Amino acid sequence: MNTPHNSLSGVLRRWRVTPPANPNFRHAVWHRVNARVRESWPVYLRSHATAWSLAAVVMLGGAAYSGSALAQARARADREAMVVTYLVDLDPRVQAALKP
Amino acid sequence: MKYLLGTLTVLLLAAAATGFFCFRMSVDPALHAAARKGDSMEWLCADFHLSKEQFAAVKQLHDSYAPSCEEHCRVIQQATKARQALVSAASGDAAALAAAESRLVELRTSCETALTRHVRQVAAEMSPADGERYLALVLPRITNFDHLAAPDLSLNRAR
Repeated sequence: MNTPHNSLSGVLRRWRVTPPANPNFRHAVWHRVNARVRESWPVYLRSHATAWSLAAVVMLGGAAYSGSALAQARARADREAMVVTYLVDLDPRVQAALKP
Repeated sequence: MKYLLGTLTVLLLAAAATGFFCFRMSVDPALHAAARKGDSMEWLCADFHLSKEQFAAVKQLHDSYAPSCEEHCRVIQQATKARQALVSAASGDAAALAAAESRLVELRTSCETALTRHVRQVAAEMSPADGERYLALVLPRITNFDHLAAPDLSLNRAR
Protein backbone atom coordinates (compact mmCIF):
# COMPACT_ATOMS: atom_id res chain seq x y z
CA MET A 1 0.00 0.00 0.00
CA ASN A 2 1.40 3.37 -1.03
CA THR A 3 0.62 5.64 1.90
CA PRO A 4 1.58 9.39 1.98
CA HIS A 5 4.19 8.52 4.63
CA ASN A 6 5.90 6.01 2.31
CA SER A 7 5.78 8.57 -0.47
CA LEU A 8 7.58 11.17 1.67
CA SER A 9 10.22 8.65 2.68
CA GLY A 10 10.84 7.81 -0.93
CA VAL A 11 11.18 11.46 -1.87
CA LEU A 12 13.64 12.05 0.95
CA ARG A 13 15.65 9.01 -0.10
CA ARG A 14 15.90 10.22 -3.60
CA TRP A 15 16.69 13.87 -2.61
CA ARG A 16 20.26 14.92 -3.34
CA VAL A 17 21.57 18.38 -2.45
CA THR A 18 24.23 19.66 -4.79
CA PRO A 19 25.26 23.13 -3.48
CA PRO A 20 27.54 25.18 -5.73
CA ALA A 21 31.17 24.84 -4.67
CA ASN A 22 32.58 28.00 -2.98
CA PRO A 23 36.26 28.24 -4.01
CA ASN A 24 36.85 31.00 -1.43
CA PHE A 25 35.46 29.05 1.53
CA ARG A 26 38.79 27.79 2.95
CA HIS A 27 40.45 31.20 2.52
CA ALA A 28 37.53 32.95 4.20
CA VAL A 29 37.70 30.63 7.19
CA TRP A 30 41.46 31.15 7.68
CA HIS A 31 41.06 34.85 7.22
CA ARG A 32 38.61 34.98 10.09
CA VAL A 33 40.81 32.77 12.27
CA ASN A 34 43.91 34.93 11.62
CA ALA A 35 42.01 38.13 12.30
CA ARG A 36 41.31 36.83 15.79
CA VAL A 37 44.88 35.68 16.36
CA ARG A 38 46.50 38.83 15.00
CA GLU A 39 45.01 41.39 17.38
CA SER A 40 46.72 44.70 16.66
CA TRP A 41 48.76 46.71 19.20
CA PRO A 42 46.38 49.66 19.24
CA VAL A 43 43.51 47.27 19.85
CA TYR A 44 45.49 45.71 22.71
CA LEU A 45 46.27 49.13 24.18
CA ARG A 46 42.69 50.28 23.89
CA SER A 47 41.51 47.21 25.73
CA HIS A 48 44.03 47.82 28.56
CA ALA A 49 43.96 51.61 28.46
CA THR A 50 43.34 52.23 32.16
CA ALA A 51 46.09 49.96 33.43
CA TRP A 52 48.68 51.21 30.97
CA SER A 53 47.75 54.85 31.52
CA LEU A 54 48.23 54.43 35.23
CA ALA A 55 51.53 52.64 34.69
CA ALA A 56 52.69 55.39 32.33
CA VAL A 57 51.84 58.17 34.79
CA VAL A 58 53.62 56.38 37.65
CA MET A 59 56.72 55.43 35.63
CA LEU A 60 57.17 58.75 33.86
CA GLY A 61 56.45 60.74 37.03
CA GLY A 62 58.90 58.62 38.99
CA ALA A 63 61.55 58.98 36.31
CA ALA A 64 61.10 62.76 36.14
CA TYR A 65 61.34 63.08 39.92
CA SER A 66 64.38 60.79 40.09
CA GLY A 67 66.17 62.73 37.35
CA SER A 68 65.62 66.04 39.09
CA ALA A 69 66.50 64.65 42.52
CA LEU A 70 69.71 63.15 41.15
CA ALA A 71 70.70 66.48 39.60
CA GLN A 72 69.99 68.31 42.84
CA ALA A 73 71.96 65.79 44.86
CA ARG A 74 74.91 66.20 42.52
CA ALA A 75 74.68 69.99 42.78
CA ARG A 76 74.61 69.74 46.58
CA ALA A 77 77.66 67.46 46.60
CA ASP A 78 79.53 69.72 44.16
CA ARG A 79 78.69 72.80 46.21
CA GLU A 80 79.72 71.11 49.43
CA ALA A 81 83.07 70.14 47.96
CA MET A 82 83.61 73.61 46.56
CA VAL A 83 82.79 75.42 49.83
CA VAL A 84 85.41 73.32 51.57
CA THR A 85 87.99 73.89 48.83
CA TYR A 86 87.22 77.61 48.83
CA LEU A 87 87.57 77.99 52.58
CA VAL A 88 90.69 75.87 52.72
CA ASP A 89 92.25 78.30 50.25
CA LEU A 90 90.94 81.29 52.18
CA ASP A 91 91.23 80.43 55.85
CA PRO A 92 94.65 81.09 57.41
CA ARG A 93 93.78 78.83 60.31
CA VAL A 94 93.51 75.92 57.89
CA GLN A 95 96.56 77.03 55.96
CA ALA A 96 98.56 77.15 59.19
CA ALA A 97 97.44 73.64 60.08
CA LEU A 98 98.13 72.21 56.63
CA LYS A 99 101.50 73.84 55.97
CA PRO A 100 104.53 71.98 57.29
CA MET B 1 52.11 38.58 25.97
CA LYS B 2 53.95 40.01 22.98
CA TYR B 3 52.09 43.32 23.29
CA LEU B 4 52.54 43.40 27.07
CA LEU B 5 56.31 43.11 26.75
CA GLY B 6 56.39 45.55 23.87
CA THR B 7 54.35 48.14 25.75
CA LEU B 8 56.47 47.68 28.86
CA THR B 9 59.66 48.17 26.85
CA VAL B 10 58.34 51.34 25.22
CA LEU B 11 57.27 52.67 28.60
CA LEU B 12 60.64 51.90 30.17
CA LEU B 13 62.45 53.65 27.33
CA ALA B 14 60.14 56.65 27.66
CA ALA B 15 60.75 56.72 31.42
CA ALA B 16 64.53 56.57 30.91
CA ALA B 17 64.33 59.40 28.38
CA THR B 18 62.15 61.45 30.74
CA GLY B 19 64.52 60.89 33.64
CA PHE B 20 67.53 61.85 31.55
CA PHE B 21 65.76 64.95 30.22
CA CYS B 22 64.77 66.09 33.72
CA PHE B 23 68.31 65.43 34.96
CA ARG B 24 69.78 67.52 32.14
CA MET B 25 67.27 70.30 32.75
CA SER B 26 67.94 70.41 36.51
CA VAL B 27 71.70 69.90 36.53
CA ASP B 28 74.11 72.83 36.59
CA PRO B 29 76.97 71.93 34.23
CA ALA B 30 79.01 75.03 35.12
CA LEU B 31 78.89 74.18 38.82
CA HIS B 32 79.87 70.59 38.12
CA ALA B 33 82.73 71.66 35.85
CA ALA B 34 84.04 74.00 38.56
CA ALA B 35 83.81 71.25 41.17
CA ARG B 36 85.59 68.80 38.89
CA LYS B 37 88.45 71.26 38.43
CA GLY B 38 88.38 72.33 42.08
CA ASP B 39 88.44 75.94 40.91
CA SER B 40 87.00 78.19 43.63
CA MET B 41 86.76 81.30 41.49
CA GLU B 42 84.99 79.43 38.72
CA TRP B 43 82.63 78.04 41.33
CA LEU B 44 81.85 81.52 42.68
CA CYS B 45 81.21 82.75 39.16
CA ALA B 46 78.96 79.83 38.20
CA ASP B 47 77.07 79.24 41.45
CA PHE B 48 76.47 82.86 42.36
CA HIS B 49 75.79 84.12 38.85
CA LEU B 50 78.55 86.72 38.85
CA SER B 51 78.67 89.16 35.97
CA LYS B 52 82.07 90.07 34.52
CA GLU B 53 82.19 93.20 36.65
CA GLN B 54 81.16 91.36 39.80
CA PHE B 55 83.70 88.63 39.09
CA ALA B 56 86.47 91.20 38.62
CA ALA B 57 85.51 92.92 41.89
CA VAL B 58 85.44 89.61 43.78
CA LYS B 59 88.77 88.57 42.29
CA GLN B 60 90.27 91.89 43.33
CA LEU B 61 88.96 91.40 46.86
CA HIS B 62 90.49 87.93 46.97
CA ASP B 63 93.80 89.18 45.63
CA SER B 64 93.95 91.96 48.18
CA TYR B 65 92.98 89.57 50.96
CA ALA B 66 95.62 86.97 50.03
CA PRO B 67 98.64 88.78 51.63
CA SER B 68 96.78 89.30 54.92
CA CYS B 69 95.77 85.63 54.81
CA GLU B 70 99.43 84.66 54.36
CA GLU B 71 100.43 86.91 57.24
CA HIS B 72 97.72 85.49 59.52
CA CYS B 73 98.82 82.01 58.56
CA ARG B 74 102.43 82.80 59.40
CA VAL B 75 101.73 84.28 62.83
CA ILE B 76 99.34 81.44 63.73
CA GLN B 77 102.03 78.94 62.78
CA GLN B 78 104.58 80.81 64.91
CA ALA B 79 102.22 80.95 67.87
CA THR B 80 101.38 77.26 67.47
CA LYS B 81 105.05 76.34 67.39
CA ALA B 82 105.72 78.50 70.48
CA ARG B 83 102.93 76.79 72.33
CA GLN B 84 104.15 73.36 71.24
CA ALA B 85 107.63 74.23 72.46
CA LEU B 86 106.22 75.18 75.86
CA VAL B 87 104.13 72.00 76.02
CA SER B 88 107.09 69.78 75.22
CA ALA B 89 109.49 71.74 77.50
CA ALA B 90 110.25 70.01 80.75
CA SER B 91 109.96 73.23 82.78
CA GLY B 92 106.14 73.23 82.61
CA ASP B 93 105.75 76.97 82.92
CA ALA B 94 101.99 77.14 83.35
CA ALA B 95 101.77 80.92 83.09
CA ALA B 96 103.78 80.99 79.85
CA LEU B 97 101.70 78.15 78.45
CA ALA B 98 98.47 79.96 79.32
CA ALA B 99 99.81 83.11 77.70
CA ALA B 100 100.74 81.15 74.55
CA GLU B 101 97.29 79.55 74.47
CA SER B 102 95.69 82.93 74.92
CA ARG B 103 97.84 84.40 72.15
CA LEU B 104 96.81 81.58 69.80
CA VAL B 105 93.13 82.04 70.60
CA GLU B 106 93.48 85.77 70.07
CA LEU B 107 95.17 85.23 66.70
CA ARG B 108 92.54 82.74 65.58
CA THR B 109 89.78 85.11 66.61
CA SER B 110 91.39 87.97 64.76
CA CYS B 111 91.80 85.70 61.72
CA GLU B 112 88.15 84.66 61.92
CA THR B 113 87.10 88.30 62.14
CA ALA B 114 89.20 89.21 59.11
CA LEU B 115 87.89 86.27 57.12
CA THR B 116 84.29 87.07 58.07
CA ARG B 117 84.82 90.68 57.00
CA HIS B 118 86.28 89.48 53.73
CA VAL B 119 83.41 87.13 52.89
CA ARG B 120 80.91 89.86 53.76
CA GLN B 121 82.70 92.15 51.31
CA VAL B 122 82.54 89.40 48.68
CA ALA B 123 78.83 88.89 49.37
CA ALA B 124 78.25 92.62 48.97
CA GLU B 125 79.50 92.36 45.39
CA MET B 126 76.88 89.73 44.57
CA SER B 127 73.18 90.19 43.99
CA PRO B 128 71.33 90.32 47.33
CA ALA B 129 69.83 86.84 46.95
CA ASP B 130 73.11 85.25 45.86
CA GLY B 131 75.01 87.14 48.54
CA GLU B 132 72.70 85.79 51.20
CA ARG B 133 73.04 82.26 49.87
CA TYR B 134 76.83 82.63 49.79
CA LEU B 135 76.96 83.86 53.37
CA ALA B 136 74.62 81.08 54.49
CA LEU B 137 77.06 78.60 52.97
CA VAL B 138 80.37 79.98 54.23
CA LEU B 139 79.69 81.85 57.49
CA PRO B 140 78.61 78.85 59.59
CA ARG B 141 81.69 76.97 58.45
CA ILE B 142 83.98 79.85 59.33
CA THR B 143 82.36 80.23 62.73
CA ASN B 144 82.31 76.51 63.47
CA PHE B 145 85.67 76.00 61.78
CA ASP B 146 84.46 72.65 60.46
CA HIS B 147 86.21 72.71 57.12
CA LEU B 148 89.56 71.55 58.50
CA ALA B 149 88.84 67.83 58.70
CA ALA B 150 87.22 67.37 55.35
CA PRO B 151 89.39 69.22 52.81
CA ASP B 152 91.83 66.48 51.98
CA LEU B 153 89.03 64.08 51.11
CA SER B 154 87.16 66.73 49.19
CA LEU B 155 90.22 67.92 47.34
CA ASN B 156 91.09 64.40 46.36
CA ARG B 157 87.55 63.83 45.21
CA ALA B 158 87.36 67.07 43.29
CA ARG B 159 90.71 66.74 41.52
